Formats: sequence, C-alpha cells, structure tokens
Amino acid sequence: MGADVQFPAMTDGREIIKKSTLDGQGLKILVEAGLTWLKANQQLVNSLNVFPVPDGDTGTNMVLTMQAAYGEIVQSTESNIGKMAHAIAHGALMGARGNSGVILSQLWRGFARALDNLPEMNGETLINALTECKNTAYKGVVRPVEGTILTVAKDVAAAADKFRGKDVTLDVLEAIVVEAERSVENTPNLLPILKQAGVVDSGGKGLFIILEGMLRFIKGMPLETTAVVQPLSQMELDGAMEEVEPGQDYEVVVDFRPNNNLDLEKFYSDLSDMGTSIQVGEGDGMYRMHIHVPTDKRYEPIEYTMGLGTVTKVAIENLLAQMEDQKGKSDEKINFTPIEAGQIAVIAVSPGMGLSRIFASLGVAAVVEGGQTMNPSTEEIIHSFENLPTDRVILLPNNKNIILAAQNAAQMTVKKVAVIPTKTVPQGLNAMLRHDPDGDLAELASEMESAISEVETGEITTATRSVEINGVDVQQGEVIALLNGALVASAKDIQSACMELLKKADTADRERITLFYGENYSRQEVNKLSDEIRKVYPRHEIELHEGGQPHYQLILSIE
Amino acid sequence: MNDSNQMGNIFISHRAIASIAHQAALGSYGVVGLAAKSLVEGFAQVLVKDPTLGVEVDFANDGITIDLFIVIEYGTRIKSVASSVADTVRYQVEKTLGLPVKSVNVHVRGLRISNLD
Repeated sequence: MGADVQFPAMTDGREIIKKSTLDGQGLKILVEAGLTWLKANQQLVNSLNVFPVPDGDTGTNMVLTMQAAYGEIVQSTESNIGKMAHAIAHGALMGARGNSGVILSQLWRGFARALDNLPEMNGETLINALTECKNTAYKGVVRPVEGTILTVAKDVAAAADKFRGKDVTLDVLEAIVVEAERSVENTPNLLPILKQAGVVDSGGKGLFIILEGMLRFIKGMPLETTAVVQPLSQMELDGAMEEVEPGQDYEVVVDFRPNNNLDLEKFYSDLSDMGTSIQVGEGDGMYRMHIHVPTDKRYEPIEYTMGLGTVTKVAIENLLAQMEDQKGKSDEKINFTPIEAGQIAVIAVSPGMGLSRIFASLGVAAVVEGGQTMNPSTEEIIHSFENLPTDRVILLPNNKNIILAAQNAAQMTVKKVAVIPTKTVPQGLNAMLRHDPDGDLAELASEMESAISEVETGEITTATRSVEINGVDVQQGEVIALLNGALVASAKDIQSACMELLKKADTADRERITLFYGENYSRQEVNKLSDEIRKVYPRHEIELHEGGQPHYQLILSIE
Repeated sequence: MNDSNQMGNIFISHRAIASIAHQAALGSYGVVGLAAKSLVEGFAQVLVKDPTLGVEVDFANDGITIDLFIVIEYGTRIKSVASSVADTVRYQVEKTLGLPVKSVNVHVRGLRISNLD
C-alpha cells in the first residue's frame, strides 16, 4: 500500500497546521491522507460490516467512493478551497458505492455547499462546514438509524460547534477526531444489532479513519503502517495457533503500563525484529503485547517491554507443545473429505456424532447437526456449504422435517444445489454410497434419489404419549418401532420391539441389517440384541455402529 | 404464501410482507419516501396512512417478487441508492420470514429537492 500514492515532496503535514487557513491544495492533500489511511484499514472496516446488510463491503465501498473523489481532483491546481470542495463532492457523488458511500458523498456535498466559493477555510468555516455536512446527510433519509455513520457525523458537528466564536484554528481537527472515536465506540449502545455482533458501526468507523488519517498526516505520522492498536476486549489470541511459523516456537504475552506515551510505530518495528504474529491491545492505559519468537529469544520481548514501563503480567508458552496437544484433539474430531474446486460437495444433516463420523468416512464435505426435534435453520444449512470452494452442492436432509429447510437453502444461494429428499439417516447413507465428486450434478442427484428406495429404515424409540395410530395401541413409556416412518409395533422392551419390526420389514429380499445405536443405549445391550437377531436371521449380515443420536435407541438400516 | 409444518399451515399475507418491505425501505439511506403506483390508489392510501404504500408483493411462480416505488433525495447517486434499498429490503424480508425473495424491483418515482447546489 502507499506505493501508488505520492505526497508532494514539499509538503510536510506539519506545515499545514502552522498556517491558520487551508486552501484548495491543502484540502487535496488532506483528502489524499484520509484515503491512504482508509485504504490501510479497509479490511478492518469490512470486518465490522453487519448493518444494514451483513455483506462485509463497507470498507471497500468507502475506499472506492473516496478514490473517485480524489480522482476528480488529483490533477487540479485549484487554490480556491470552495471550488476544490465542489470537485471532491462531484467525484464522490459519481463514484458513490453502497450505503456508506452514498452517505459519504452527501457529507462532501454539504461540506462543499458550506464552503461555497471561499478561497480559504479557517477554524470558523470548518465548524460551519461540519454542521452543513451533518444537515445534508440527514436530509437524505426519512428515518435515520442512529448508531451509524450519521450519528458519528452528528456528534462530530456538535463537538466542533462548541468551539464556535472561540477564535480557533484548524487544530480543532484534533478534538474532532477524538469525538469521532468516542462516537464510534458508542454506536453499539444505540444500535442493538451491533452490540449483538460485538462490533462498532463499520461506516462510522470508516468516517473516523478518514478524519484520523488527515490528523495523522498533519502530525507527521505515517499512513501506511498497519500498526493498529485494538481494544483489549477484541484481542483474539486463540486463533493465533494456526499461524505458527517454523522456528517461532514460543508465544510471549506481556501486559504492561507504559511510563510515557508509547511510540507505537517504534514499538512495532522493534518487536518485528524479534518475532512474528505481533498484536497489541490497549484498554484503560494498559497494553497487552503478543508475539511469537524463536526459543533463544523468548525473554527478549519481556526485557524490552520492561524498558518501556511497568510490566504487570507475563505469559510464556511453548507453542510446539500446544500444537501437539491440538493434534491429539483433532484426532477425535471428524475428518471431512477436502473438496477441490469445482467438485460436487455433499452436505448431510446428522443427528449424532457417530453418524457424522460415518458420513464423513463416506466422503461428505460437511455435516449439519440436526434431526428429530432439532431442525437446523435454513441459515445454518447455507452456512455449511457457503465457504466450500465449489458451486455444486448436494444436500441430504435425512429427516422429513428438514427437507423444506434444505430446499429453501437451495433457493437462497447462488450455488447450484440439489436436495435429495432423504427422510431418514439410512436413506442418506445409502445415497452417499453413490457419491462421485467429479460427476454431473443432475445425474448424480437422480442416481442418489433412486438409491433411497433401496433401503428400509427402522427406528426404535420411546413413546412420549399414549396414542393409537395405524391400529397400533401405544401406552406412554412403551417402546415403539417405526418402519419407514410409519408406526408398526409397540412393546415393553427394545428387543421385542426390534424383533417385531424386523418381522414387518421385507427381510427376505435383503441381505444386511445395520444397527446404529443412540446415546441412550449401551454397547452391551446392543451386543446382546445383535446376538438375538443373528439367531433369528442367520443368513443376514449384521453390523453394529455407534450412531450417537438422541431420542432413538436404535436406527436400523435394512438393505 | 403458505408454509406447512407438522402442526398445520402458516399463511403470510401480501400486506404483511409489504409492511416489512415498506419499513425497511424507509430506513434505507437516500430514500425519502414511497409513492403510490397510481393516482387513485395514492389518494386512498394517503387518506388512511397505509403501511404498505408504494410496495407491491407478488407470489407468482413459487417465489416472492417485491416492487418498490420510491422517491429519492436529489443529489445522491440514484443507482447506488436503488441497489442499497433493494439489498436492504431483500435482506430484511428474508430474515424476517425465513423465505427466499426471488426479486426486488425498484421504481424511482421521483426526486425530492431539498437543496440546489
């Protein structure tokens, strides 16, 4: 970043503030500074975007809008600040992208109108201009939502207004930036959706960054660094695990209170000589520094920070040991088949850990937890395949109540999604046996659909109420057997229910019976049961698997 | 539009969806009002403060189609405002109903001029 932006050699930002007024060329340089700093922080702003539509593009939209504004004036030698402001407003209007971009262009429009045709701007005109910015921006909407960029513009105007008549110079900008930051931090208190997501408003943050960029330039601070201090509460150190580079074996975290004002740029550059994965957080004057360093340098960051202030807490951890721990754990985790770009990914809804593992071993790309009485939402289903590197997806709902949600998910995404209407887990497993990741989506879908009818599904569960269905009388607490979703038998215990079920099923034409036992049924019991089944059906192959599903003691697949 | 579950059916009317869309559109930046599709309809709707003014909802062919008739603030970039309002309305309706919206058509009925530059 920054290579494409070149400040004229003669301009040191600090020269600007010494003068009491700003002309067109001065404004041009400030716009450039704001844009440069916004670009450096573009991804940060994108990551905050949850309102009004969480599509993560606020930072990009604001950069493009500012870029268009700057593009309009980059060749201009105009010294009249009013004319320059009108050109900026015109550029911003033409290039406005997204909500935040449109609001930003309105702010510039108000700014230009206030400066009208003035040759230069002083403190007083700046205050007027900020008020006009706010007024113009608020005119653009009938029902302004507070806790957004609009609120930040309003707070900034109000803060500037306090200096009215006090014979201020342009250093009022310092107070403006301070207020903008406070206002941004306050946005979650005004807009609940931000609080829920644990972020500040993205557009407001973007506006603050533009203003801050201007101030940084005036103070002679660099604009291309990413040395940003985040609030302590937002520091995420858990995720740092994946970023371990070879040789950086130790993680060092130091909490400290600096004696003097901390020179962040120097702090960052000194740290980067020692190690990698540097993060700095700040809260209430306390700083937390996080770094990964090689074994022989593990005490260096601590001694270095001791020279800067009072160290209150130090944590050193051997990452190699941690990594091994992590590896041990991931063995317990399910290993899904990685999907290559363009392949067909299958997503299965699975009610239990054991069944998920079986689906994974058959090659599904992901599972969504869900089943009887715990239907996943359309959003959860979409979320499961959204980030896969392919646009061809097959969904196995494996429950008749989830088919609709799966179909909704298929319609709501831009990816090509086929829903196989599997009503039970065995149907889903059987369909999965036909999977061919490189096949044709429509062909594979019809192939899988035909596999559904080749398996019969038995389910054993406990009745939650007394009822009579299909001529079967059931008392609450009795064990019931369902064959392909229909109630076929009730009994006092699981074994007799299971035998009754197999009797009703079309076992003569089938060769294999697979039992998936649930979380409320033990391995010993199922072993005993399978011995009984073997006695009655000696010619059938009997298989046992841990399904881990709730509610159902047994799910049987008869194929 | 209806949606069935184990217990029965859920019916959602055009007007209910139109109200959600109307509210979402009014909160979207750059939109300063909604306009009636026709003059006669306009009089009637203004008289009773219709919460669905300027919104048409259609369920044809298995998907929700929403038409918005809006007035935009003069001096904003119309294309950006229109696509923002379409995005916002689509997102709010889908989030509230949990059903997909097939398309949102935006008809810019006029501009309101607050200030001439």
